[in-house]
Amino acid sequence: MNPLRAWRFPPEFPLADGDIVSLHDPPAPPLEHPVLAEDRLRDLMAMLRTARDELLVDLPVERVVRAVDRVACRLLDPGDELRKRALEELGPHAGLSDPMAETILDRMAFDWTRERLLGLLTSEFPDPQVLDGFRPGTRGCMVRALGFPLTFHLGSGTVPGVSVTSLVRALLVKSAVLLKPGRGDVTLPVVFASGLHEEDPDLARSVAVAYWPGREGGQVESAVRKADLVVVYGGDDTVRWVRERLPPATSLRVYRHRLGVGLVGRGGLGGDAPSTAREAARAVALFDQRGCVSPHVLFVEEGGATDPGGWAGLLAGALQELEETLPSGHLTEDEGALLQQLRGLGELEEGTGRGAVYHGGPRAPWTVLFTPGGRLEPSCLNRTVRVIPVGDLAEALADMEAWRPYLQTVGVVGLGGRKEEVAEALTRLGVSRITSLKALPWPPPWWHHDGEGPLRALVRWTDVEPAGP
Amino acid sequence: MSFLRLREELLALFSLGVAEPFPEPAFNELALQVLRFQAEANPAYRGFMARRGVEADAVSRWEDIPFLPARAFKSVALVSGDPGDFERVFRTSGTTRGRQMRGEHFVRDLALYRESLLPNFQAHLLPEGVPMPILCLLPSPDALPDSSLSFMMGEVARAFGTGLDGAVDMDGPMACGGGGVGSAGGYGGGFFVHPEHGLDIRGFREALAKAGPGPVLLAGTAFAFVQWLELAEEEGWRVSLPEGSRVMETGGYKGRTRALSREDFYRRLIGAFGIPGGHIVNEYGMTELLSQFYEPVLAREGRDGESSGEGEGESDPGAQGIRGRNGAGVGTGRFHRGPPWVRTRVLDPRTLEEVPEGELGLLAHLDLANLGSVAGILTEDLGRRVPGGFQLVGRSRGAEPRGCSLALEAFLAALEEGS
Repeated sequence: MNPLRAWRFPPEFPLADGDIVSLHDPPAPPLEHPVLAEDRLRDLMAMLRTARDELLVDLPVERVVRAVDRVACRLLDPGDELRKRALEELGPHAGLSDPMAETILDRMAFDWTRERLLGLLTSEFPDPQVLDGFRPGTRGCMVRALGFPLTFHLGSGTVPGVSVTSLVRALLVKSAVLLKPGRGDVTLPVVFASGLHEEDPDLARSVAVAYWPGREGGQVESAVRKADLVVVYGGDDTVRWVRERLPPATSLRVYRHRLGVGLVGRGGLGGDAPSTAREAARAVALFDQRGCVSPHVLFVEEGGATDPGGWAGLLAGALQELEETLPSGHLTEDEGALLQQLRGLGELEEGTGRGAVYHGGPRAPWTVLFTPGGRLEPSCLNRTVRVIPVGDLAEALADMEAWRPYLQTVGVVGLGGRKEEVAEALTRLGVSRITSLKALPWPPPWWHHDGEGPLRALVRWTDVEPAGP
Repeated sequence: MSFLRLREELLALFSLGVAEPFPEPAFNELALQVLRFQAEANPAYRGFMARRGVEADAVSRWEDIPFLPARAFKSVALVSGDPGDFERVFRTSGTTRGRQMRGEHFVRDLALYRESLLPNFQAHLLPEGVPMPILCLLPSPDALPDSSLSFMMGEVARAFGTGLDGAVDMDGPMACGGGGVGSAGGYGGGFFVHPEHGLDIRGFREALAKAGPGPVLLAGTAFAFVQWLELAEEEGWRVSLPEGSRVMETGGYKGRTRALSREDFYRRLIGAFGIPGGHIVNEYGMTELLSQFYEPVLAREGRDGESSGEGEGESDPGAQGIRGRNGAGVGTGRFHRGPPWVRTRVLDPRTLEEVPEGELGLLAHLDLANLGSVAGILTEDLGRRVPGGFQLVGRSRGAEPRGCSLALEAFLAALEEGS
């Protein structure tokens, strides 16, 4: 495999000798990435801005949809070179198994197809043409919605597709995009941008993708300072770092790390307990638990036909089965270090009569910690999940209170008649997405991402008020 | 065998010092006796062993002893014996959001700690056997009685420290240079960190100024040294400590995220104190283990480098002084070793199988000095086995965020940084 070329610039942007350096950080395969000096980055961003002002801003949203859809269809077409390239590089660079990478590509690319994009547009704007020109609004106003001219997207981590989704959202509202994906999410944005160059070169002139390691060295800071809108995916530390450097007039959208939770009511513990466990296992396993939606803790209600301890065993069995169809990816030494501590602690607790631990041993990282009296806390990821028995789900809700700023997705099953009541309580805790365990891993394109409209968060409105009385 | 008999056996072993290796069969035999005692006397550890399917009597090689994760000290009291029967509790640092995050090591018998730490310290920091003033950038053991590091340096200062004038039996006000930070009482040079108010800058400066003509030993956490260095560099304070002076720094491996590389750190220590790089020794220890690991840089010099006269670059700490004698540089080539009553395994973090020499893995220590708690401890520290010991690569960062899911370690790190 040739080193992944971790960038895609507009064709007008000439690469100079010394712009590109190699990086090899095993076990990830080698890649080459750009190192742009201050003035070169400035030129690139100016070029993107011009392309947006002279081209993109005048393209109808329909054309953006068409271009993105064409790339998405190629990514879904088993015979297409673009898909082959994506699949060859995706797993190794993200540290995910190939079957996992393929599953993720299929679901992500599906959400970039025409029908899904139109669903997103109409969900966000009753009249999506408001993105192309003034349209009648309320009370006699004419209204127009337009994205910021130049957006800088700072991705993080290894959930493939997150960065491309961010890029697509920005293009739909006619913003130029400079995207720096996370190390493990390099493949898809580069492949996607290449596809865009082939399918609609004019549109693609507003897109630049470049990975480089870390955020020191001045480039990230320069990009933050020169963009009109910065979109950050990252942990609290990254968010703090960006906020400290953000000019006062620059807008910021933040998608922070989250703590996913599952609630299994006693209604889901009858004959359907095995299937409930399988759905929960899949939700834990997908993205190797690195998604913001991934559950860390499953609260399981007592008093059902299957007790929480028994259900934890079913969950463990389902996680073991998933190793066949959706194998785990590579575990780093650091991740292994923490995993072994948690497993050992689980064994200590089980050995002293407090709970139980199930795990995949030396062969697989999945771990289920059945923890009576346990509390909600972040997992070490890579399919390590805590099952906490509760007499009533109200106890789980009380426990979630302390994690309010980190809540986003809660998967629920078996609530019976309590669905609305629980939904209201979760809303008050700041939860922005409540769904089934089955649907948990795949929020639709039009979801209120962290509580905001995914496109409305990226636009500014202009009102033309009716002439005075 | 009973605690008392094993204790006597261990104390006898410690009194032999660390120079001679403990032959494998004898170590194995003693380790198995310790295991059987702990399996009997420590219900929590016994439960852990049962869950692992290990019976103490069936274990014939020390490598097969179940290693308990270090985090277990945060979850349960691990006393081997009557739970109420302990002399001291040492605690790890760190609390978060009011939750119990501190590990607790209940020490049944401080003599086992004292008698094991002294010969090892002496061999690696004072191999010449000459007492000297010991200045600690640490809280005193009286000010912070639950710190195992403060306790250790208190014992060291009592055993090997002198007053700043070189007087061996110091017990007066001079005994503590800490300007009220430490407490009086025969500690030699003094302790210059207050648990709440931080560095005692004035006291430490005064003590440094008084040093000489004989050498001094500075000991402290990397964190405290860095605080001092930042201040000293800003103020332009440089001292040239008397020849033969040395530094023991510790605790600098908590996270490779440390802003300062080890090389930079040592370069700055060399600049600020005027000592050669080969006179800086890293101590690697943890509250959960009563024994320590040191880099044998000075020890080698003390034994075989004394008369060689290869002191190149020693008078110019800025340029060449980064390398000490005998090639004991500040970066590559250094390694740690434990005392004879400790064995270290390096395990694959995914499978817990032993990895080949030179490969990265988790450090698991079997420390017989831990007789009163649990001897076999699996750490979160990464390292490589090398001839003579292991190279410490660093404290695992845990699951550093690789996605957009909140990870335990990253969350705790962010909290600490933000607070």
